[in-house]
Amino acid sequence: MFDIRPVLFANGVLLLVLAAAMGVPLLVDLAVTGGEAPAFAAAMAASLFVGAALAFSCRGRGHFGLGGRQAFLFAASGLGLAALFGAVPLLLGSRHLTAIDALFEAVSGLTTTGATVMTGLDHAPAAILLWRALLQWLGGAALIIAALALLPMLRIGGMQIFRVDSSERTENQPTRLPRRAGALMLAYLLLTVALALAFGAAGLTRLEAVCLAMSTLSTGGFSTSDGSLAKFGDAAQWLCVVGMLLGGINLALLIVPWRGSRWRFFKDTQIRWYFFTALGFALLLTFWYWAVAGRPAYDSLRQASFDAVSTLSTTGFRLSDDHSWGGFPHVAFFVMCFIGGCTGSAAGGIKTFRYEVLFAVGRLHVDRMLYPHGVFSVTFNRLRLPDAVLRSVLGFFILYFCCFATLATGLAIVGLDAWSSLAAAAAAIGNVGAGIGPVLGVAGGDHALPVAAKALLAFGMLLGRLELAPVLLLALPSFWKD
Amino acid sequence: MIDLRPVLWGIGALLSLFALAAMLPALADWLQDDADWPVFLAIAGLSLFIGLVLVLANLQHRARQLSIRQGILLVVFGWLVLAAAAALPFLFCHVHLDRSDAIFEAVSGITATDATVLRRLDRVSPGILLWRALLQWLGGGGALTLGVLVLPRFNVGGMELFRTETTSLDDRLAYRAPRLLRGILLIYLSFTLVLAGLLVLAGIDPFAALLEAMSTISCGGFSTSDRSIGQWHNAAADWVILLGMLLGGAPFLWHWQLARRQWRVARQNSQIRWYLALIMAAALAIALWLVLAQNTKPLVALRQSLFAVTSVMTGTGFATLDWSSWTGFPLALLFLLTFVGGCAGSTAGGIKVFRLQVLFANARLQLRRLMRPHEVLLPRFEGRRMPESVAESVLGFVFVYTLSFALLGLALSFCGMDFAPALAAAASALANLGPGISPAIGPLSSFADQPDAAKWLLSAGMLFGRLEMFLVLAVFSRDFWRG
Repeated sequence: MFDIRPVLFANGVLLLVLAAAMGVPLLVDLAVTGGEAPAFAAAMAASLFVGAALAFSCRGRGHFGLGGRQAFLFAASGLGLAALFGAVPLLLGSRHLTAIDALFEAVSGLTTTGATVMTGLDHAPAAILLWRALLQWLGGAALIIAALALLPMLRIGGMQIFRVDSSERTENQPTRLPRRAGALMLAYLLLTVALALAFGAAGLTRLEAVCLAMSTLSTGGFSTSDGSLAKFGDAAQWLCVVGMLLGGINLALLIVPWRGSRWRFFKDTQIRWYFFTALGFALLLTFWYWAVAGRPAYDSLRQASFDAVSTLSTTGFRLSDDHSWGGFPHVAFFVMCFIGGCTGSAAGGIKTFRYEVLFAVGRLHVDRMLYPHGVFSVTFNRLRLPDAVLRSVLGFFILYFCCFATLATGLAIVGLDAWSSLAAAAAAIGNVGAGIGPVLGVAGGDHALPVAAKALLAFGMLLGRLELAPVLLLALPSFWKD
Repeated sequence: MIDLRPVLWGIGALLSLFALAAMLPALADWLQDDADWPVFLAIAGLSLFIGLVLVLANLQHRARQLSIRQGILLVVFGWLVLAAAAALPFLFCHVHLDRSDAIFEAVSGITATDATVLRRLDRVSPGILLWRALLQWLGGGGALTLGVLVLPRFNVGGMELFRTETTSLDDRLAYRAPRLLRGILLIYLSFTLVLAGLLVLAGIDPFAALLEAMSTISCGGFSTSDRSIGQWHNAAADWVILLGMLLGGAPFLWHWQLARRQWRVARQNSQIRWYLALIMAAALAIALWLVLAQNTKPLVALRQSLFAVTSVMTGTGFATLDWSSWTGFPLALLFLLTFVGGCAGSTAGGIKVFRLQVLFANARLQLRRLMRPHEVLLPRFEGRRMPESVAESVLGFVFVYTLSFALLGLALSFCGMDFAPALAAAASALANLGPGISPAIGPLSSFADQPDAAKWLLSAGMLFGRLEMFLVLAVFSRDFWRG
C-alpha cells in the first residue's frame, strides 16, 4: 500500500480553496440579503474544518510531490470530495433540493457539464446562481491545470505528448510548472473578465453577465434563466458563441506570445481541426435550418453557429427548447458530443488531438495494407509520435465507447427509453450537458428522472471529466496492492 | 500503373458463374408458369456474354497470383459489378422496382444484409424469391472467401491473426489456402442442405425450406414472407433457424477443424466461446427484463430473446416477433449488439468478436501499463504472442467503423430520416444486419418509404461494411494508384 497522506493533504488544500470560494456568494448574499447566508456559512465552516484538519494532520516535512498512483487517487478523490462539499449550500439553501439533486447539480457544475435539476432560475437568489457559475468556473480552472500538470504525468490516453513543449524536454521542471500554471490562470481570469464586461455592454444585468461569463469560458453551460440563452438578445448570443469557441481552445497557446517565443496559434494543427470542425457543422446546420426547416437565413445562421459551437465545445447552452426539428440536428448533436474541444481547455469529449492521431492511424493501416513490409510513423504537430502514444490514444477511444455503452445500458435498465439513454449517456460522459429529447434537456427537466438515473449520470460526468482512467484504475484490486 | 487485365479476367469469371446462378430462377419461374422466366434468361445470357468476352479477351493475362492491388481491385469491383447485375431482375420483372430500390435490394442481397423494399412477399413470384435467397447465399459464400482468404492476406483490421500459412513470409497466396477455401465452401453447402432438410422435417414446404435455409446460413435474412419466421408459428422451425444462424455466425475455420476431427485445435478456439457466451449473456439479460417488466413467461421470454439476440448479433435480421418494438433496455442492448457482429471467418458482419477479444486484452494491458510504466507486458491472443501491430490494426478498424457509423448517420438524417431510424439504419447497414432497431425500419417493415437518397447511402454503407471498409478505403488512397 502506498502512502496516502500526501493525497489527503492535497485534498485538504483543495477544500480550503473551495471554502474560500464559498466566501464570494456568502458576501454577495449578505449584501443583497437573499436569505442564503446561513447555508453558505455552514457549508464554508464545514469545508474549512475538514480541509484544515486534513491539511494539518497530513502535512509532510519539507517538500513532497505526488507519485503516480497517488496522483490518480488525488484526481478522483479531489473531484468527488469537492462535489460533495459543493453540494452542501444547495442542500441547505432555501431551494430545498434533495440530497441526490444537490449532488447531481454540484457534480454537473464541477465537471463543467451543465445539466441541471433546478427550475425557476430566473427568480433564484443571486448567491445560488453565483455559486453554480463559480463551481463551473473552478471546475474549468482545475481541469486546465490538470491538463498541464497532472494528466501528462499520468500518461492518460496519449496525453504524454503534451508533457512538455518540444523545446523543454527535461523530465522535471519544478520551477516552470507553477509559473506556467499561474500564467494560464491569469489568461483564464482575464478572458472571463473581458467576456463579463462585454456581456454587460450587451445589456445583461451585472449578475447575469458575471455568471454567464464564468459558465461560458469554462464550457460549463449553467444558465441564469430556465430557457438557457433564449431570452438574451442577439448580441449576447453571438458573444457567447465567441466565448464558447475560446473556451474550447488550448489556453496554453494564448499565453505563448507573452512568454517571448513565436506565436504558433495558427500553426497548431489541433486548433485548425477544432475550428474547421466547428465551421463545418455550423455550415451544415445552417443549411439544414434554412433549406429544410424553412427558417429565415440570418436566424438559421445564428441558431446553427450557436448550436454547433455550444455542442462541440461541450458547453451545452441552447437557444430554444424546441425538440421538433427533425433528425439532422439531433444526430449532429449526438455525434458532436463525442468530439469535444482541444486538449488544454476546459472542454470535454474525446478531444480533437486524439482524432488527429486516430485519423493518422487509419491512414497508417491503409499504408500497411499496400506496403506490408514498409516502416511508417505517425506525426502530430510535425513531431513523430512514439508507438506508446498511439496505443494509448486508441485504447482511450475504445474505453470511452465502452464506458458510454455501459452507461447507456445502465440508464435503460433504470427505466429510460433506449434512445434517450443513449443521448443522455453521450451528453453526460462528454460533459456536454444538453442531451437530445427530454432527458438532460435545458429546462431543468432532470428533476423528474429516477434517482438511480441521476446517480448514474453524475457518475458518468465524473468519469468523462477525469478522462476515465483514474476512476477505472481505482476499481482494480491491483491498484491498491503493491 | 496496375495491370488491370488479370482483374478483368477475374470479373469475367465471376460474371459467368453469376449467369449460371441466374438460370435457376428462370427455371423456377418456367416450372411455375410465371411470366418472368424470359427476363431471367435474358439477364443470364447477357452476363454470360459479357463475362465470357472479358474472360476470353484477357485469357493470356490470367495470372496465377494477383498482387495486393489487383486483389483489392478484384474484390471491390467484383462486388460492385455483381451488385449492379443482380439489380436487373428487380428492374424488369413484374415487381418493377425503380432504380434506387432495385440497387438497394440487390446490394442488400449480395452483401447478405436483409434490408428490403419489397412488400407483400407472399404474392411475389417464386423466381424473384429464389433470386433474393440465391443472392444472399452467393453473398454469404463471398463473405466466407473474404474472411478466410482475402482479409487475412491483406492484413485488414488485425485479420492477419487468421492466416493459415503461418510460416510463409511471401506476399503471394500459398498453396494451402484454396484447398481450405474449397473445404469451407463445401461445409457451407452441406450446412445449407442439412438445414433445408431439417426445415422440411419440421413441416415446411420444401421450396420455402430451401430458400430460408439459404438465407439463414448466409446470415442474410431475406424471408419468403412479410412476417419473417413468424409466418409458420412452428416452434421446431424456429429452433432450426436459430441453429442455422448460430452456425452461420460462428467461425467456419472452426467447423473445418471439427470436420477434420482436429479436436485439440478446435478446443483452443476462444472466439467461439466468447461468441456463445456473449449471445447467452445478452439473451438471459433480455429474458430477465421481459419477465420482470412485461410479465412474459420465462421460457417464452428466453426463446424470444435468444432468437432476437442471435438474429441481431449474426446480422441475419430474422424475427419471430417484432423485436424493434421492444422499449428501453432490450432495445438499447440490441442496438449495441449490432456493432458486435459475429465471428471472423463467418458469414456475419459487424466489428467481429475476435476484435473485441483483442480490444479487451489491449485495454487490460493499457491499464496495467498506467500503473507500472516500466514493466514489459506483451499482448496475447489464444495463448500465443500477438504482434503489437495487430492491436493497432484492430483499434484503427474500430475507429474507422465508428467514424463511418457517425458519418452515415449524419448523412441519413440529412436526407430526412429521424434521429432513431437514422442511427439504427446506419448501424445496421454497416453491420450487414438489415432491419434497424427502430419500429419504422424494423424486421417486419420495409425501407420502401425511406427517401431515395437514403437508400443509395445505405447501399454504399452495406458494401462498405461487407468489404470491411479498408478494402474500399485502399482504392481511394493516393498511394494505391501510384505504386
